[in-house]
Amino acid sequence: MSDTDTKKYDVLVLGGGPGGYTAAFRAADLGLSVCLVEQQQRLGGVCLNVGCIPSKTLLHAATVIEEAAEIADFGVDYAAPKIDLSRLLAKKDAVIEQLTSGLDGLCKSRKITRIAGKGVFTDAARLEVAGPDGTQEVRFTNAIIATGSHPFALPNLPEDPRIWDSTAALELRTVPKRFLIIGGGIIGLEMAQIYSALGSEITIVEMLEQIIPPADKDLVQPLFLKLKKKYTILTNTKVTKISPAKSGIEVSLEGKNVPGNAEFDAVLVAVGRKPNSSGMGFDEIGLAVSERGFLQVNERQETSLPHFYAIGDVVGEPMLAHKATHEGKVAAEVIAGHQSAFNPMTIPSVAYTKPEVAWMGLTEKEAKARQLDFDKGKFPWGASGRALSAGAASGVTKALFDRKTGRLIGAGICGLNAGELIHEAVLALEMGANAEDISLTVHAHPTLAETFAFAAEIVDGSITDVLPPKKR
Amino acid sequence: MAIEKIRIPDFGEVQQITVVEVFIAPGDKVEVEASLLALESEKAVMDIPSPFAGVIKEVLVKEEDVVASGDVIALIETKGTEKSKPAAEQDKVENEQPAKTAEPAVPESAKETQAGQVFHATPSVRALARQQKIDLAAVTGTGPHGRILKEDVLAARQQPAADMVEQAPLEDFSKYGEIEEMVLGRIQKISGPQLHKSWITIPHVTHFDEADIVELERFRKKLNGERQEDDPSYSLLVFVIKAVAAALKTFPLFNSSLVPGGEKVIVKKYYHLGIAVDTPKGLVVPVIKNVDRKGCREIALELRRLSAGAREGKLAIPDIQGAGFTISSLGGIGGTGFTPIVNSPQVAILGLSRSYMKPVWDGERFVPRLTLPFSVSYDHRVVDGAEAARFCKTLRRNIEDLKRTLV
Repeated sequence: MSDTDTKKYDVLVLGGGPGGYTAAFRAADLGLSVCLVEQQQRLGGVCLNVGCIPSKTLLHAATVIEEAAEIADFGVDYAAPKIDLSRLLAKKDAVIEQLTSGLDGLCKSRKITRIAGKGVFTDAARLEVAGPDGTQEVRFTNAIIATGSHPFALPNLPEDPRIWDSTAALELRTVPKRFLIIGGGIIGLEMAQIYSALGSEITIVEMLEQIIPPADKDLVQPLFLKLKKKYTILTNTKVTKISPAKSGIEVSLEGKNVPGNAEFDAVLVAVGRKPNSSGMGFDEIGLAVSERGFLQVNERQETSLPHFYAIGDVVGEPMLAHKATHEGKVAAEVIAGHQSAFNPMTIPSVAYTKPEVAWMGLTEKEAKARQLDFDKGKFPWGASGRALSAGAASGVTKALFDRKTGRLIGAGICGLNAGELIHEAVLALEMGANAEDISLTVHAHPTLAETFAFAAEIVDGSITDVLPPKKR
Repeated sequence: MAIEKIRIPDFGEVQQITVVEVFIAPGDKVEVEASLLALESEKAVMDIPSPFAGVIKEVLVKEEDVVASGDVIALIETKGTEKSKPAAEQDKVENEQPAKTAEPAVPESAKETQAGQVFHATPSVRALARQQKIDLAAVTGTGPHGRILKEDVLAARQQPAADMVEQAPLEDFSKYGEIEEMVLGRIQKISGPQLHKSWITIPHVTHFDEADIVELERFRKKLNGERQEDDPSYSLLVFVIKAVAAALKTFPLFNSSLVPGGEKVIVKKYYHLGIAVDTPKGLVVPVIKNVDRKGCREIALELRRLSAGAREGKLAIPDIQGAGFTISSLGGIGGTGFTPIVNSPQVAILGLSRSYMKPVWDGERFVPRLTLPFSVSYDHRVVDGAEAARFCKTLRRNIEDLKRTLV
C-alpha cells in the first residue's frame, strides 16, 4: 500500500455504477489521474448487476415465452415451454460477466486505479477504504460521489425470505405460485412480466390511481388493458399489514374491491428507491444532505463543498442510468476545466413492459398543470399496418405541441419497441422541431416509427391515415 | 366620466427611453397638451403632452424608470368624451388588464419548465454558449422559427469581448498626483457604447481633401447682406449640406447601410442628413430631412430651429431619427483636419474643419485663396478608396461651384 500512500489523485470517484465509471473514464481520457472506489468486486453498480441489465435479460426470455404463445393467433402452435431456471440464471450471469469484464478492460487500459472496498471520507482530501485486503487511505484533489441508491423498504416490514426487494427478485430463487407485487411502477411491472411468463399468478397493488403513475393515464391504457386480463391489479389500494405465516405471507389491503385477507407465496416490495448517502462521512466533512438523503448539486454537478461533485441517483430523481452517465461526464469535464453543464431539455423514461411504455418532455397532465396552451396528436396503432402485422395493434403514439411556438413539448409511446422509438421525439425536442418538421420528414412505411410522424400530422392537419381532426 | 390610460407614444426605433422628470401627481388637474413628463432617449429630451384633459388618478412611472413605447404613464379621469387626439394610443381601462400585470405570467411559467427549455437552441449550441459565456437570453436567433444558431452565438460573442477591454481595471493614478472622479454626462454615457461599437465593427478609412470657397464665401456674404428681418443668416454649413446632397445622389453607396452578413447594402432614396451639434450637455445629432428638396433658406431655418432645440434639450424624437449620412462641423472652433467616427449603420461621415487662407500658385505667383479642409470617414467594407476619392472630388467641386448641385 505504499503507492496509494504517497500518490494524490486528481479525481476520486466513489461508486462504480454507470455514472461513476463513466465519470472515471471521462476524467482519465481528459488527462486526469483517477482512482475508482467500488465496494463490490464488479463494476456496473445496480444497473449492470442487479438492475437494468439482468432484468432485461430475463424480460427477453419472458417476451419470447409470451410471443410463442401469442403466435397461435397466426396459426403457429408451440408446445408449452420447458423452463430451466438454472440455465436462465446462468445466461443472465453470463451477460453480466461479459459486460463487467468489458468494463474492467476499459478501466485497465485507461490506467485507472481500482480499489474494491467501502469508502468513508475522513476529510476534504482523504477517503478511507475498508476492503478485503485491509484498510487504506486514498488522497485526492477532487471527488465525484456516485454512490447510487437502494430499494426503499416499507416501514415495519417483517424479515422473511419470501419478502423480496428487486435485487432478491432478480436472483430468481423460486417461481412463487401466488406473487404479490407492491408498487405498480416500472420495476414492479417488469418483475410482474418476468414472473408471469414463468408461471406466477400476479397481483399488483398500487397506492395511486393508475399503474406507472408519472405517465399519462391514456398512454398507459393499452398496457393496462392487456395486463388486467392476466394480473389482478388493485389501484388506489394500500397495504396495511404484512404477516408471514406458515402457508404464506398474509397481507391486509385497504381500498375498493380488495379481497379480505389475501395470502401469497412471495411478496415483492417495489415502492421506489432511496439514495445511498449515509455512513460515508458526508455529514462529517460538511456536505449538505437533504431531508430525503439527496446531495444537492448545481448544473455543473458541484456540491456545497468545493472540489466535491455528485452525480446519479444520489443527487435526485429521476434515478436513471442514462441521467447518471451524462452527469458523470459533466462532472469530469468541469474538473478538467471545461465549461460543461447538465441541462438537457428532457430525460426519457422507459418501462420495458409488453407493450413498452416510453415518454419524454412534458406529459399531458404536466402541460395542463402548467396551463400551457398546446395541441395534441394521438395516433392509435390499430391504424398502423406495421403494428397490425406484428400483432402489436394495442398501442398509441402521442405528441404535444406548444400552440404559441409550435414546438414539440412532450411525447409518449405505448407499444412494441416504444423504448427505441421514443428517441426520435427526444431529438426533435432538443432540436426545437415543430409538427411540420416531423411530419415533412419522410418516415419509411410500414414502420412503427412513422406513428410519431402521424401524430405530428394530426396536429398540422395533414394526416390521411386516419380522419383529420376538425378544424379549430 | 371615464378612466383613460395615457401611454408613451410610438418612438419607432428608439429603444432606451428614460424618465427624467415627472410633472404630475395623483389629483392634479391637467389640460390637453399639458406636459406630463420629460423623457430622455439616446439623443433628445422631450416632454410628453397630455392627450386628455382631466384629473390624474394614478401615476405609473417614476423618475429614472426606463420605459418603452406603449407603456402606460398614468391613469386619468376625463369628462365626457374629450378625446382630443384620436391618433394617440388610448384605450379603456375596464376591458383590459394593464399590460404590466398580464405579461410577466408568460416568462415566469417558462422559467418553471426544465432548464434549457426557455431558449430555442439545440444542445450543441447551448454547449457553445456555455463555453463562450454567452447568455442565450440575449441572443437573437436567425434560424428557422427563430432558432438560435451557432453563428448567432459566435456573433453575440463580439460585443462582450469589446466590453471586457473597457472593463480592465485602471491603475491607481493617485499615487502620481492629485485626481478627481467626474461622472460622464448622460449623453456621453448613452452615445459612448454606440461610438465604441461603430469604432470596433466598422473598418474605418478617412480621406482628406480641401475645397476652394472664395466664390462660395462671396455668395454667402452677399446673401447675408441682403437679408431681411425674418431671414435666417446663412452659414457655410447650409451650402455644404446642399453640396453633400448632390454628391450623395452621384454616389448612392455613401447613403446606404450594410446588411448584416455583408452580402448586401440597402441604398436610401431619401436624403436625410444628421448634423452633429455641440451642446452644453454633449454631442447631439439632429436630422434635416429631404435636404435635396429644400432650398438654402429652408435649410438655414431648419438648422437654426434644430440647433436651438438641441442646445435646450427640446428636440422631438422625429428630429433625431432617420439620418443616412452625417456632417460634423468643427469649423467654428478650429483644427486642420480630423477623423470622425462613422455613425453605424450609416457608412460615411463628413468632417468640416476651419477654413483658412491658402497661398495657391496660379502659374505666376502665389494668390491667397480661402480654403475649407474636410475629411470623409467611410466603411471600407462598402466603399473602396478610389470611390471615396471620387466622392470627395465631386463634393469639392460642388462646394466650389454650387451651380453643379442644380445638375
